Amino acid sequence: MAEQAIWSGTISFSLVAIPVRLVKAVEPGRVSFRMLHSKDYSPLARRMFCPEEDIMVPPDEIIRGYEIAPDKYILVTDDELESLSPERSRTIEIVEFTDMKEVDPVYYDHPYYLVPSKGGEKAYRLLVEAMRRTNKVGLAKFVLGEREYLVAVKSSEGALALITLHYSKEILPDDDFSPKEGKVEAGDKSRMKRDIKKMMGDFNPEKYADSRRKKIMNLLKKKAKEKAPVQAPVAEEAEGEGPADLIAALQESMHKIKRNR
Amino acid sequence: MSRRAVEIAGRRLSLSNLEKDLYPSYGFTKAHVLDYYRRISKFILPHLKNRALTLKRYPDGVEKDFFFEKRCPSHHPSWVKTEEILRDDEERMTVCLVNDLGTLMWVENLASLELHVPPARAGSPETPDSMVFDLDPGDQANILNCARVALILRDLLAELRLASYVKTSGKKGLHVYIPLNLKETTFEDTKKFSKAVAIIMQKNYPELVTAKMAKEYRKTKVFINWSQNDSSKTMICVYSLRAREKPVVSFPLEWKELENFAGRNDTENLQVLHSEAVSRAEKQGDLFRDVLTKKQKLPHL
Repeated sequence: MAEQAIWSGTISFSLVAIPVRLVKAVEPGRVSFRMLHSKDYSPLARRMFCPEEDIMVPPDEIIRGYEIAPDKYILVTDDELESLSPERSRTIEIVEFTDMKEVDPVYYDHPYYLVPSKGGEKAYRLLVEAMRRTNKVGLAKFVLGEREYLVAVKSSEGALALITLHYSKEILPDDDFSPKEGKVEAGDKSRMKRDIKKMMGDFNPEKYADSRRKKIMNLLKKKAKEKAPVQAPVAEEAEGEGPADLIAALQESMHKIKRNR
Repeated sequence: MSRRAVEIAGRRLSLSNLEKDLYPSYGFTKAHVLDYYRRISKFILPHLKNRALTLKRYPDGVEKDFFFEKRCPSHHPSWVKTEEILRDDEERMTVCLVNDLGTLMWVENLASLELHVPPARAGSPETPDSMVFDLDPGDQANILNCARVALILRDLLAELRLASYVKTSGKKGLHVYIPLNLKETTFEDTKKFSKAVAIIMQKNYPELVTAKMAKEYRKTKVFINWSQNDSSKTMICVYSLRAREKPVVSFPLEWKELENFAGRNDTENLQVLHSEAVSRAEKQGDLFRDVLTKKQKLPHL
């Protein structure tokens, strides 16, 4: 199925502007479950609880606080947060081209595809081809949802891929990870090189299916066949009539309307 | 697969398989479905606005498999309004809010023939803005029995100074709505109240009414399902199509109309088809308008 665009606009640099649509490149395959009450299979609800007052807190009494020290908060309203949201992008303006290998994969956040919209096909193909030949990626700022991202646009199998990148501030320092102590012997080095060579293959991600997801789905299929699903109670049985005052008022009204009928 | 790019209210949409017959025994294609929702949009949109939509999708038509979708499909266009809801398994769930024509058309392009919404807004999911009674006839009862129960229910509620509104379910039953629109109301209130009403009804009209879920009690009776008054439950939205043999609509009625129907004592069909729904709504306006605005307090709680 052709994916619906999650954004549409143009991609541009210098004097070129190509109409494009943004579509997702991945869909995480997580299997999610509902939490049920073991006694009657009722799906459970989430409520906010105030441990201080020992009560459930209604939504209109819930606000946001940023914790700056234990038990000290700065209050922030939804309006304040909204006012900080950047304006939606109409264009993906490439400001810089760089070598593909310059971008460390640790910066890669989320992949998308850009597909050409009507009238943009020719220029799109040209850009894909030029980027493939030069092995360059374009860098751009782009607002998606509530956030402004730094994105890399690259050619991928005849199409343009767009990858949102982490900001450098989000990347954790790694300078402590490479051990400085210990000498590397030449013999060890060449033996390891040989071992690596032996295990070389083309990158074939199909070989590595998400086996846990597959096992869960198979389990669910098997169980669905073996046994009917449990049923959440549709209505509480009518035990306990309700507040005496209400019952009395209802019964009295009932007498009245029966007389009038 | 055929696709067609259209622009609706400034939104670009790619519509697919418009010629697919979604009601094969009646002959009603996806293009017809989109056209119905476009023409009814000014009446249905206020009732969908800011509510967490549950999609009920029939990609291969009403005679084939359907599936419910509570999550907003992840490939939704960026302009579709959504709300994040925290679910009990620690996961955030994004739901669609059908707040404009573009979104309504997008949702119908997904063949969500039926639109189900909870009796609360997504921003305040624990505050019901109406109380509902789902009148569901047993397999040996009919919509005439339902109409009788609805009229008694209306009179009973009127005695307590509560105005109520009725619509067809588009299936066999009727839905009675009591607008509340007060932020202090809780689902505990609507549940307690509606349950007491159902029990009193059953007590006084044991031949006609049951307040019990179990099928064996229902048969010839009308089940007053009060348990829909829950934050996890949804009701078919007024003006939504139903996935039946014919494209019938869950349509609001005047009480007078229901009285006449019950008085005639026939089981003539009370169903409102798509085309009649549009012409009647155009003529009489939105009979369910007050459900969204009228403020009422449940007494004796």
